[in-house]
Amino acid sequence: MTPLYAFVPSARNRRVWVPVLAGAAAVPLVVRSEYVLNVAVLAGIYIILASSLNVTNGYTGLFSFGHAAFYGIGAYTAALLATRLAAPFWLTFPAAGLAAAAVGSAIAVPTLRLRGIFLALVTIGFQEITFLVTMNWMSLTRGPLGIPRIPPPALPGISFRSNVAYYYLILVLDIAVLFALTRIMTSRIGRTLIAIREDELAAQSCAVPVFRYKVLAFGLATFFAGLAGAFFAHHARFVSADSFRLDETFVILTMLIVGGMGSLVGPVIGAVALVIIPEAFRFFAEYRGVVYGLILIGVILFRPHGIAGVPGIIQPRGAARAPAPPHKPEPALDVASTPESAR
Amino acid sequence: MSLLQARDISVMFGGLHALNRVSFDVAPGEIVALIGPNGAGKTTMFNCLSGFQAIETGEIHFDGARLDRLAPHRVAALGIARTFQTSRVFKRMTVREHLLVGRHRHQRTGLLSALRRARWVAAEERDVEAYGLATLALFEDRLLPRVDDFAESLSYANRRRLEIARALVAEPKLLLLDEPTAGMNPHESAGIASLIRTIRDQGITVLLIEHDMKVVMGVSDRVVVLDHGEKIADGEPAALRTNERVIEAYLGRRQARA
Repeated sequence: MTPLYAFVPSARNRRVWVPVLAGAAAVPLVVRSEYVLNVAVLAGIYIILASSLNVTNGYTGLFSFGHAAFYGIGAYTAALLATRLAAPFWLTFPAAGLAAAAVGSAIAVPTLRLRGIFLALVTIGFQEITFLVTMNWMSLTRGPLGIPRIPPPALPGISFRSNVAYYYLILVLDIAVLFALTRIMTSRIGRTLIAIREDELAAQSCAVPVFRYKVLAFGLATFFAGLAGAFFAHHARFVSADSFRLDETFVILTMLIVGGMGSLVGPVIGAVALVIIPEAFRFFAEYRGVVYGLILIGVILFRPHGIAGVPGIIQPRGAARAPAPPHKPEPALDVASTPESAR
Repeated sequence: MSLLQARDISVMFGGLHALNRVSFDVAPGEIVALIGPNGAGKTTMFNCLSGFQAIETGEIHFDGARLDRLAPHRVAALGIARTFQTSRVFKRMTVREHLLVGRHRHQRTGLLSALRRARWVAAEERDVEAYGLATLALFEDRLLPRVDDFAESLSYANRRRLEIARALVAEPKLLLLDEPTAGMNPHESAGIASLIRTIRDQGITVLLIEHDMKVVMGVSDRVVVLDHGEKIADGEPAALRTNERVIEAYLGRRQARA
C-alpha cells in the first residue's frame, strides 16, 4: 500500500481516481444551487493555486510568499486583454500564464541567490510592490476602481450564464494542470527539483545546474498561478488589487500546508478542505479567520506534514539532524557542511 | 600525461593557509590516497578539485580543461564525481531515485519532452534505471534489496555506499572519495577497499581521502601527504613508513620528547 503522498494516478490505480473524477463530474447533476456551485468553482481555482505553489515551496524547497501577486498578474493580464483588445478566452488564458511566468522568472533571477527566510522576505516585498503598482498605475489598472465588465469566456457552443459551465471549465482546467504537473514532477525535471530540495550541494556534484532549475521551478509555479488568475478574471468578471494581497498568499499557503507539501494530492485536498470548511462556518462570518488559524495551528502541531504531504519537509527543530559521523569531522575546513543550516 | 594536475594551490581562511602552494598529479588509472592529520587541508583540496572552493593561487587542469573558476556542476559535467565526508544523501528520495539523479548528465529529457512523454523519454528512463541497478550490483546485497527505500532509512554504512553509487552512475573519469570507510567496521572497510579496486579496473581513476591506514596501504598506488596545508610527501605507500616528515606529522617530533 503506497502512502497517500506517493499517489500518482496511473492505469493500475484507476479504481481510486476514476470514481473521484466521476464524482466531481456529477456534482452539477446533483447540486442545483448557484451558491454551492460557486464555492465548488472557487475550490477549483484554489486547486491550481495550491498545486502550483507546491512546485516551489513543496518540491523544490524554495519558500515563496508572493504567490497571490502572480495570480493577480495573470488576472490583470486577462482582464486588460479582454476589455481593451477584446481578446478571446483561448488567448487571454495562456497569455496570463506567460505574463506571470515572465515576471516570475525575471524576479527569480536576482532573488534566488537568497535562501530560506531571506527569500521569503523578498517575495513578501515583491507581493507588496505589486499591490502598490496596481493601486497606483491609474492609466493601466484604474487603481482602486478595478477593471469591471470582463466578458465571460466565449467558447463555441457553451453559454457561461450559470456556474454549471464554469464548473465544468475549471474541472477540465484542473485536470489539465494536474496532468501536466504530474508528468513534469515524475520526470527527470521533478526528480532534479526534489534533489535540490534535499541537498543542493549534492545535486551540484551530480552535474545539476541548480540555479537554472530553481528559476525553472519559479517559472512553472508562476505560470500556473497566472492561468488561475485568468480564469478568476473571466469568472468574477471584475478584478481589483484587493483580491491579490498578502492575505491571499497566506490562504494559498495554508491550503498547501494543511493538505501537505511535496505530493500531488496534498494541495488538492488542502484547497478543497479549506474552501469548504470556512463556508460551513459562515454563521460567524467575522471569525472565519480564526477558524482558518486554528486549523493551521492544529495541523502544524499534530501533523506537520499535513494531510497528505511528504513527511519531513516541515520538521520540528532538532528532528532534522543527520546522524553524526562517528569519525571526528573537520568543521572549520568543510565548506560543504555550512550552508544547510540556512534551510 | 596526467589526468589531473593541481599546480600551486593555495586557499586562505582568514589569514590561515588551509592550503599553501600544493601541487600534485594524478595519472589515468591510478588510485591515489590523500592523507594527513585532521586539519591538514584534505577536504579543502577536494572542495577545490570539485569547484566548491575558490582557489587563491594556482591552476587545476583536468583532462585538457582548466577547471578552477568553474561552478561545481560544470566540474561534474567534465567527469569528476565526488562523495562527501559527512554523507549527503537525498534523505527523502529512494535509492533508485538517487541513481537517476546521479546520472543526470547522461540524460536529455527537458520540460517539453517530459510533458509530451515521447517514446525516447521512456526509453531513456529505462536505460538509466538499468544502468543504475547494474551499478548497485557492485555493492552485492547491501543496496539492491533496498532500492525503493528512502535514503533516510538506510544504515550509516549504506548511506556511504549509496553516495559512492550515485557518483559512479555519472560514469566519471575521476572519482573523489572523501573518507569512504569512515564509521565502518574492519570487515566493511575491507569491502570498500576491494570495491575501490573494482572501480579502478573499470577504468575510473580514484583519488581518496582516507584515515584507515590498512585501506590506504592496501589499495593505493601512490600516497600524497598533507600537513598544515602543505604537501610533505608524495610517493609509494611503502616509502611512507620510513619518511621522517610523515612520522613527525602524525606522531610529533622525536627530539621534543627527549
